[in-house]
Amino acid sequence: MTGARDAGAGPAGGSRELVLRHLAGLPVDRLPAMPITMMFAARLAGVPYADYCRDATVLARAQGLVADTFGFDHVSCISDPTREASDLGATIQWFDDQPPAIDESDALLAEPRHLAALRPADPLGGGRMTDRIRAVELLRAGGGSTRIVEGWVEGPIAEGADLRGINTLMLDFYDDPGFVGELFDFATEGAMAFAGAQVDAGVDIVGIGDAAASLVGPSLYEEFVWPREKRLIDRIHGLGAKVRLHICGNMSRSVGAMARLGADIIDLDSLVPLEAARVAAGPDQVLLGNLNPVTELMGSTPEAITNRLAACHRAAGSRWIVGAGCEIPAATPRENVAALVAYARTSVGTA
Amino acid sequence: MPGYERLASAILSGDQATAAGETRGALEGGADPQAVLDAMTAAMDIVGARFQSGQIFVPEMLVSARAMKEAMAVLEPILTASGIHPEHTAIIGSIKGDIHDIGKNIVAMMWRGANFEVVDLGVNVMPARFVEAAREHRAAIIGISALLSTTMLGMRDAVRAIRAAEDLAGATIIVGGAPVTGEFATAIGADAYAPNAAAAVDVARAAVGIGTSAPSAS
Repeated sequence: MTGARDAGAGPAGGSRELVLRHLAGLPVDRLPAMPITMMFAARLAGVPYADYCRDATVLARAQGLVADTFGFDHVSCISDPTREASDLGATIQWFDDQPPAIDESDALLAEPRHLAALRPADPLGGGRMTDRIRAVELLRAGGGSTRIVEGWVEGPIAEGADLRGINTLMLDFYDDPGFVGELFDFATEGAMAFAGAQVDAGVDIVGIGDAAASLVGPSLYEEFVWPREKRLIDRIHGLGAKVRLHICGNMSRSVGAMARLGADIIDLDSLVPLEAARVAAGPDQVLLGNLNPVTELMGSTPEAITNRLAACHRAAGSRWIVGAGCEIPAATPRENVAALVAYARTSVGTA
Repeated sequence: MPGYERLASAILSGDQATAAGETRGALEGGADPQAVLDAMTAAMDIVGARFQSGQIFVPEMLVSARAMKEAMAVLEPILTASGIHPEHTAIIGSIKGDIHDIGKNIVAMMWRGANFEVVDLGVNVMPARFVEAAREHRAAIIGISALLSTTMLGMRDAVRAIRAAEDLAGATIIVGGAPVTGEFATAIGADAYAPNAAAAVDVARAAVGIGTSAPSAS
């Protein structure tokens, strides 16, 4: 595998070099801005979201556009949580202009015994995972020397929920914990292979989305999820790429455990108080976030956004990256997104 | 509740077989069905309080709700035969375009645990269907759930449709879901916002004038 580039490699790197220096703890002249944009990017590009998810050229064009328009320091392949499950044969429900979703009424692993017969999907097998690999290649070719190119995989519990059905999985923790472990191992192996293919295609950072982790408490998280996330993160680091871990929902009680994973970026939801998160994560962990995407970004004003980001900055300190607590909603006013980036452009060190 | 400690304990620990067995045993021993129901409801109130205080999480809440459901399967025919029915009906569904349902399902289970008759409309529910179902079931409570910031915007249409139906003026519209906030609920004209399933029980009870005994989470 070719691996991701080192901070000092490649052309004089602009955003890319800034982010890699920041992650390495080296001096930087401003903060990076790396918000998640999916539907917002598609809306900006004037394309239906289903096209964004299905066609790498559409996604890459929209990501380039949104990064150019607002000055983000990265472009990302994140689109929806169903790529891996889709290639494994899960039933996916599609919508014209919103993310596809798993049809839990027809879950692929409605019968746990079917896990034993399930074969890992090939990231290069021509399905939706391959489309993401293609997106990486396009993003790398279209400005990837100056911006961070971010890949994406589903984490063990998120993928487990996609395959089993999230309602059923929650009961499995008590009914059949052995199956849960096997399911998460399967999901983790698949994520490692998918991450590896994305690193080969040229990503600098692999994002891991593990949303369902916030539904279980710290005890189940540390017993079932944490060890698999750790394996996945260690593997990605071994391939030479950085890791961004994003868990939607309130992970306040598990920030310390998340920090022990060694991910380069812990991307926190708005439900997590940043001040307490900084204490739990320690002084060196890079945190990202965490404005409420609806009330503090979409429904706010540039002035209020600047003030709120300053509060986040004070709470998180200098080891921080500007972003929202989750995806920027499609209907967010452009001036609000611009305010978010403007804060990063004019800020360095501790607020 | 005195006399039903083992039933309550089974619900709290999610032991569905014991919950059903204890209910059967109590009824065979001549227990008042209403008292058994009250014991179950009190146990679910503790589950809600523990969830709100962060002592338990979704898996624990779901196994408790499932144990309650098993016990109710034993009790319900007796209640029906005794002429005891839930006093209030709630309908609930995920908004049009949204097929995510775990939040909606948990609220539905907790409302059942609080002795509401619950009609689950499922996912991807159109505004007109909320109106139609609220009429059909004479719903006191209308619950609308959304997981996405895109589908959340469709809640406005549902609220508007319900408000346009004069015969539903007495129904209380409660909205919730990951991206939903109290400010958003107010902005679209909903009556209330529930940040989680336990809060949804409190809000629904307050709407129909049922007081809560503020159960201890311990």
